[in-house]
Amino acid sequence: MPINLNTSNLATRENRIGSITGYIGSLKDLATKTECGTLKGCSRCFSQSSTCLSMCGLSQLAAIRDVAIIHHGPSGCSVTSSSSYYMSRVMAKKRGVTSSTIYVGTDMNEKDTIFGSTEALRKIILEVNKRYQPKAIFVSSSCATGIIGEDIDSIVEEVSEEIDVPVIAVHCEGFKSRIWATGFDISDHAVLQGIVKPRREGVSTNKINFKNFFESARPEIIEIFKNFDLEPTFLYCNSTVEELEHLSEALATTCICGTLGNYLGNALEEKFGVPYVRSINQCGIVGFETWLREIGKVTNRLDKVEKYIEEQRAIYLPKIEEVKKELQGLTAVLGMGPGYTFEVSRVLNELGIKVVWALAWHYDKKYENGDVPPSMKYLLDSNIDFEASVADQQNYEVMNILNKYKPDMYLSRHPGSTVWAIKNGTPAIYVADEYMIFGYKHTLEFAKTIVDTIKNRSFEKNLAARTKLPYTKWWYEQNVDKFLEEAK
Amino acid sequence: MAEIRQIAIYGKGGIGKSTTTQNLTAGLVEHGKKVMVVGCDPKADSTRLLLGGLAQKTVLDTIRDEGEDIALDRIMRTGFGGTRCVESGGPEPGVGCAGRGIITSINMLENLGAYTDDLDYVFYDVLGDVVCGGFAMPIREGKAKEIYIVASGEMMALYAANNIAKGIRRYAKTGGVRLGGIICNSRNCDREHDLLRAFSKELGTQLLYFVPRDNVVQRAEIHKKTVIEYNPQSNQAQEYRNLAQAVIENEMFTIPTPMTQERLEEILMEFGLFDNIEDDYHI
Repeated sequence: MPINLNTSNLATRENRIGSITGYIGSLKDLATKTECGTLKGCSRCFSQSSTCLSMCGLSQLAAIRDVAIIHHGPSGCSVTSSSSYYMSRVMAKKRGVTSSTIYVGTDMNEKDTIFGSTEALRKIILEVNKRYQPKAIFVSSSCATGIIGEDIDSIVEEVSEEIDVPVIAVHCEGFKSRIWATGFDISDHAVLQGIVKPRREGVSTNKINFKNFFESARPEIIEIFKNFDLEPTFLYCNSTVEELEHLSEALATTCICGTLGNYLGNALEEKFGVPYVRSINQCGIVGFETWLREIGKVTNRLDKVEKYIEEQRAIYLPKIEEVKKELQGLTAVLGMGPGYTFEVSRVLNELGIKVVWALAWHYDKKYENGDVPPSMKYLLDSNIDFEASVADQQNYEVMNILNKYKPDMYLSRHPGSTVWAIKNGTPAIYVADEYMIFGYKHTLEFAKTIVDTIKNRSFEKNLAARTKLPYTKWWYEQNVDKFLEEAK
Repeated sequence: MAEIRQIAIYGKGGIGKSTTTQNLTAGLVEHGKKVMVVGCDPKADSTRLLLGGLAQKTVLDTIRDEGEDIALDRIMRTGFGGTRCVESGGPEPGVGCAGRGIITSINMLENLGAYTDDLDYVFYDVLGDVVCGGFAMPIREGKAKEIYIVASGEMMALYAANNIAKGIRRYAKTGGVRLGGIICNSRNCDREHDLLRAFSKELGTQLLYFVPRDNVVQRAEIHKKTVIEYNPQSNQAQEYRNLAQAVIENEMFTIPTPMTQERLEEILMEFGLFDNIEDDYHI
C-alpha cells in the first residue's frame, strides 16, 4: 500500500501489513502460511497483558530534543509521561546535551468529554508555545478524544497560522490496534508529515539516518562509519528538529530493529528516494557483515567496507570461536519483539546454541515494501527451524514453555519477562540495550555473558526454591495453545 | 405507595415523540397523576409545550456553568398541571458526545434525588434512533421498565421502530425492560391502522393507541401548549386523554421479537398499499 502523507491518520499494522498477535506452531509453518497467504492471526479467550500504542508512539517523539508533546485526553492517558520525561533527560545528560522537551497532558474531564474541548486545547497549544518555545509541537489524541471525534486536525491547522514552528496532529487512540509497535509507525508518520522537508538543491552529504532506541553505541558507530567516510544521524533519541528536517537528504536509512525502522525507512525511500537498507540486522557476525556490505553497496563504499571487515575478523573471530566452544549444545527459549526475536535466534544458532522456542510479541507478515521481514527470510533460507509462537507478552504461555522445555537459558528484551523466568529457576539474559549483540565486539561480549549466566546459576536456583509461582500443575500440563482461538 | 412507572419513549426522529409524550403527560395530569418528564435530546425541546417555551436551563449546561454541586431546583422546572420538567441537554451539533451527556445527566438526577416517592410516572423522551450506549441509558440499570415506540405507517418509521426493538430485546435479557406497545402518530398513510396493527403483532406487542392526525396539534405547538391546555374541548384533546387512559390501563408488557428486513417489507407489501393504487392517485 503506498504511503500517504496527506492525512494525519495512519492505518494500523494489522490493516497495513497484516500483523498478528496470536499464533502457535513452527517457524517454517509460520513462514509457509505467510507466503501462501493463509496465515490468520488467532485470538486468546483472555489476555494477561498488553500495552498501549500511545506509549510507544509518544515516547519516541518525546525523545526528540526541545519539542512539546501535548497529550489530549484524561490525565490517566499521560501516565507514561513521567518515564518519557525522565528518559529524555537522562539520555540527554548521558550524551552531554540538553533537552527542554516538555510533555503536557490536557486533563480532559467529564464535561470536556460531553461538550468537546477543542477550545481548551487551542489555548493549551498556544500557551505551551508561549511558555516553552518548543521547536515543534505534537498534539496527540487519546481513546476518549478518538471516541467523541474531537477535531484535533482542525485545531492544529488553525493554530498553525499563529505559531511559527510545526504543529502536528498525532492520532494515538490506544484501542485501534493490539500491536503497540503501531505507535512507532504513528510517530514516524508525524515526523514525516510535519517535520521532514524535501531535499535541498545542491546539498551533498555523507549522512546515514540511523534509527535506534537509545543510541548507547553512538561513539562507537561514529568511529566505525569514519572508516567509510560516513556519518550517522541517530533517531529519535536526542535528535534535533533541524536534523529531522533533513532526513530526506541522507545517503541511506538504516535501523537497529526492523520493527522500529520499517515505516520511516520505507517512507523515506518511497517519498524522497533515500535508499532503505533492508538487510538482517547488525546482531552477530553474519548480521553485522551483511549489514555493512549493504551499506557499502548503497553508498558505493564496498571496498572500504571489505577492508574493515577483514581487519575486524582478524581481531575478533578467533576470540568468538574460543567462547563458542563453551556454548555448544545449549538450549534457549526467547521472547522479544518480532524485530529482535528472529535476529537473536539467528545469532544463537551462529553461536552453536539450539533455539527450542521463539516467542514474538507480534508478527509482521511483510514490511511496508511488501517483502517478508529479512530476519525471517534468512532463517528459512538457512534451513533453520524451531517452534515459534506469537503472543503479546502472555506470560502464562512463556512459563508453560519454560516448564516444558527446561532450556538452559531464557532471553528477553523486556525486564518483567526475564524476572519470571528467573523465579522459575531458568537462567535469564536481559537483552536490554539494543546494541548488546551489535557487531563483532558485542557479539563476543554477548557470548561471554551467556557463559557467565549459565555457569552462575545459584541466584536462579535460590530464588526459585523460595518462590511460589501462581501457575498450577494443571496449567503446566496443558498445551501452550490451550487458550488460543481460531480466527473467525 | 405504588412503584413509579418509569417509561421511555423512542421512535424515528421527527415522528412526534415529544409532542405525543407531552400531550400524554397532560392527559395523565388530568387523571390526577404526578408526572416528571426527562428530555434526553441535546436540542432540549422535549418539555417546551408543558413549560410554555424553551426557557429552562438544561442539566448539562448547569453542570458546565456551575459545577456539580447544584440544587435540584436549578435544573427542574414546574410545567402544566404541576408536571416536573427536566432537560438533559447536550453539546452543540458535531462536537463532544451527546450519549455520554445523557449518562451524566441521568446519574445527576438520581444523585440529586429527583425521583421522589410521590411521582406516579417518569417519562424519558429520547432522541431518534438508539445510536449508542448513551441513548440506551434510560432503559439500562433498572430505570425505565416500560417502553413505548411512536411510529406511523411510513416505511422508515417502521424500520426505525424495528431497530429500536432490537435494542430493547438486548436489555430485556438482563434488565426488566419490556415493550408496552406501539403508539401510532398518524401520517394518514394507506391503510395505516391495519399496517400498524400487523406490524405490532409481528413485533410481539400491541398497537396501544392510534392518534389521528389533526391540525390543532400544529396550532397548539405554535402557541407552545399541549392540545389539552390549548383547546381542551377539541376531539384531539380527547384522543390524548384516551391515550393516557390506555397507558394507565396497559398490562401487556412483552419482550419484542424484531423482524428481518425481508419480513418487514413483506408486511408493508401486504398491508401498506390500497388494493387499487390508481384509484387513490391524487395530485
